[in-house]
This record gives sequence, structure tokens and C-alpha cells, in this order.
Amino acid sequence: MALAIWTLLAQWLATGGGVINRLPPPWRVLRDLVAYASGELWRDLLFSLRVFTIGWVLGATSATLVGLTLGRVPMLGNVLIPVIEAIRPVSSIAWVPLSIVWFGFGLTSKVFLVGLAVFLVVIVYAIDGSRRIPHDLERTATMLGMNGWQRFRALVLPGTLTEVLIGSRVALMAGWGTVIVAELVAADSGLGAHLIAVQQSYNVPAVMATMACFALAGFVMNALFARVERRLMPWRHDVDRP
Amino acid sequence: MKIRDTFLLPLAGVALVLAVWQSTVVLYRLPGIVLPPPWDVALALLQLTGTQAFWRDVGVSLFEFASGFTIGGLLGVAIGVAIGESRTFRLASTPVVESLRFVVPFAWIPLTILWFGTSYTGKIALVAYAVFFVMVVSTARAVAAVDPTLSRVGTALGMGRWRLAWSVHVRAAAPTIASAARAAAAIGWIAVVAAEYIGASAGLGLMITNAASSLATPVVIAGMIVIGLIGAGVSALIGWLARLRLDYR
Repeated sequence: MALAIWTLLAQWLATGGGVINRLPPPWRVLRDLVAYASGELWRDLLFSLRVFTIGWVLGATSATLVGLTLGRVPMLGNVLIPVIEAIRPVSSIAWVPLSIVWFGFGLTSKVFLVGLAVFLVVIVYAIDGSRRIPHDLERTATMLGMNGWQRFRALVLPGTLTEVLIGSRVALMAGWGTVIVAELVAADSGLGAHLIAVQQSYNVPAVMATMACFALAGFVMNALFARVERRLMPWRHDVDRP
Repeated sequence: MKIRDTFLLPLAGVALVLAVWQSTVVLYRLPGIVLPPPWDVALALLQLTGTQAFWRDVGVSLFEFASGFTIGGLLGVAIGVAIGESRTFRLASTPVVESLRFVVPFAWIPLTILWFGTSYTGKIALVAYAVFFVMVVSTARAVAAVDPTLSRVGTALGMGRWRLAWSVHVRAAAPTIASAARAAAAIGWIAVVAAEYIGASAGLGLMITNAASSLATPVVIAGMIVIGLIGAGVSALIGWLARLRLDYR
């Protein structure tokens, strides 16, 4: 039905006599999508995914380590968690110009931005997870004669990692959005650069085709990760949590 | 003890960060364009607040955000309620909502520039879009999750379908909708800034990209701080309004 409305709207706008055909009908977008898919799409997609994956892994790992430390060492936590809370409202998107000044237009600045975006999301889950270990369990573990390291391995680490996993999925879309903005601003390669290139040649169908690629990639990543999450944590039913 | 935990220790954290920042600059002899000392940033911030251009940029960004947020929020709640209430509507709209949900607002930026130029309209549309999807999805979920007992009480009192939706379901779902509004505001505010990076004639995003390309790093960092403060302020404002209106909970 939406496709029908789109087609009608496009027809109506096109006959309305605009200089540029501003809303292309769906089949033209589809045609451009096919053309792009048989050409440079894969190179661009690979580049964007590489930036995303490196940034995401680095961001999630460092957030886990920092979160565990801050969550389990109250003194450090009291001093440094407010600092993180102060940085968090400055979204990673606001770091884009600074990151370009620091790291230039290349891979490093985009990885930094994605890593930052993911870090800022996951750190909350990591601190939360490391603190929410039930006290009863900790006392039981102590009573069973586990030493500090054993308690950490058997109790704190798994408890934190489950929260980190949820955080990583939430961070998936934040990170992917950051890739888009970073590539749009520092457009040298990747899907975002392609998007800017076709935009500057006023090629509306190609712009929409590239947007569809972004959406499909995001959708596939989300679905994949949801599956992995269900596999690793079958007891969690509310995987649909946004 | 209480004062120490809530006030002194965070202060120590901030002092520590400033000290590390300052000593990094001094130790590595970083030039000001890479990392200016905190003092320079504070000075840049002070100078910015004295200029008229800065307040114009803040005003433009806030105006774009507020208009987009209002449009997207109202539409989102209205359509979200409709999706939550009516099965037919839900089935008809789910494919559209679900497929558009994955088109991150940022991906729309080039297209909004093609459609609306660098005007305010493009940013307002973008913010409305970003806010709309957050609101639709969470409103629909919240309305559908209202305790069925409440609906039965409403029906027993002789309420019609729309009366029930408006006076019972929306009110019961209001706290969830309010917290969704906070999340939506954060996303909407970032969307404004991101859109201004790429094509704008005024606004905070344009201000810091301009500062970055002339390597005025203190201004860039000062701008980031302002963006963060406004983001936090808007979020706090919505939280406060929600508490004010929903204090029966």
C-alpha cells in the first residue's frame, strides 16, 4: 500500500512540472540499487563495515574493562563516574569536527568516532552490570571458600558480560549512525562518501538507493546480533527491548 | 559522608581530568590547534557568549529542534496510539514503520538537502522524522501494554472506543511516553547538529565545522560543550515537565 502511495505521489509530483524530478518512483530507485549492487556497492560497504567493526569491538572492549574497574572499585567509581556522566551528553556526533582535526579524514578518525559512540553506550551497561551482582550470591560464594579471583571469574565477569552484550546491541545502531555521519562529513570512502557523491550530482534515485543500502545493512546486523544474543542468553525473553 | 560522595569526589574527578589535560598539553608541548589547554577553551567559551553570531546560531539550532520535536512528537504519539488501538491500522502500517525504522535519520541528511536546500525546513523535517519513529514505536507498545482491567472498567463505565483510548490508555501509558520523549529529544538534538555539519546557513553544527576548518580548536571544544549542555538541558526540561504533569504516580 505504501508503495502504491509512493508511486502515485511521484507521478503527481512529476506531472506537477518541477525542474528536477524530486521524488522518483520506486522502480527507478530499484534500478539504481541494482546498478549500484553490480558495481561499487561491495567495495563501499566493505569499507564502512570495516570502520564499524573495528570501532565497535574497540569501544565495547574498552567500555567493559573501564566499566568493570569503575563498578568494582568504589573509590575510583565515585571519582570518575561523574566525569563520564559529564562527557556522555556530548554525543559522539559532536566530536566529528574535533576528530577530523586530530586524526584527519582517514580510517583512524572514523574508528575513533564509532569507538567513542559505542563506548559511551556500553559503559553504562558495564558499570550497571558489575554492580548489580546479587549480594546473596557473593556471600554464598565467599562462604563456599572462593577467593577474590575465583569470585570474579565465576560471578562478576559473567554478570557484567551479559549486560555488556545487551549494551553492545543497543550500541549497534548508535555506532552505525555514527559511521554514516562520519562518512558524510569526512567523505573519502565508504557508503557515506558515495551518498554525498550522488547527492552532489542531484541524483535522487541513487541517493535513495544508497539510503536503502544503509538501512539493509543496519537491519541485517541487528537481526544477526539478536540471534547471537538469543543463543548466548536463552533465558532472556525481552530481547526486543529497544 | 554524603557531601563527600555527592560533591567532593566528583569535583576531584573533574579536577583530575583538567590536571591530566593541562599536563598533557605541557608535557608533550602540543600546539594549540591539536589540544588547547583548558584555560583557552574557557576563554573561547567566554568570548563566544559575548558575540551576537553565537546566540543567533544557538537560536537557529534550538528553533529547528523545537519545531521538529513538536511536529514529530505529536504525530508520533497520535499514530502510535492508532497503531496500539486498531488492529487493522497496525497490520497496514507495520511493514512501513518497520522498514523505515532502520533508515537512520542521519542517512536522510543528503536527501533533505536535495529536497529542502540548506533552509530550516530540511532540519525540521529531519528532527520530526527522528523523533517520530522513537515516539511511534514506544507509544504503540505502551498503549498495547496497558492493564486490560483498566479497559474493562472503562467499558463498564460506558466509554466508547476513542474515549477509552484517550482518557484511559494514553494516560496509563503517559510515563512510558514521557521517557520515550526524553530519548527522542536526545536523538533529535544530535540530528540537528549532524544536519548542520553537512548543509546549513546557520546553527551550532555549522559553527563548529567552520571553526574546525580554520583550526580554531578552542572554539570547536567550546562548541561541543555548548552542544552537550543544551542536550542535557533539554532532556532535564522534559523530565521536569513530565514529573510536573504526572505527579499522581
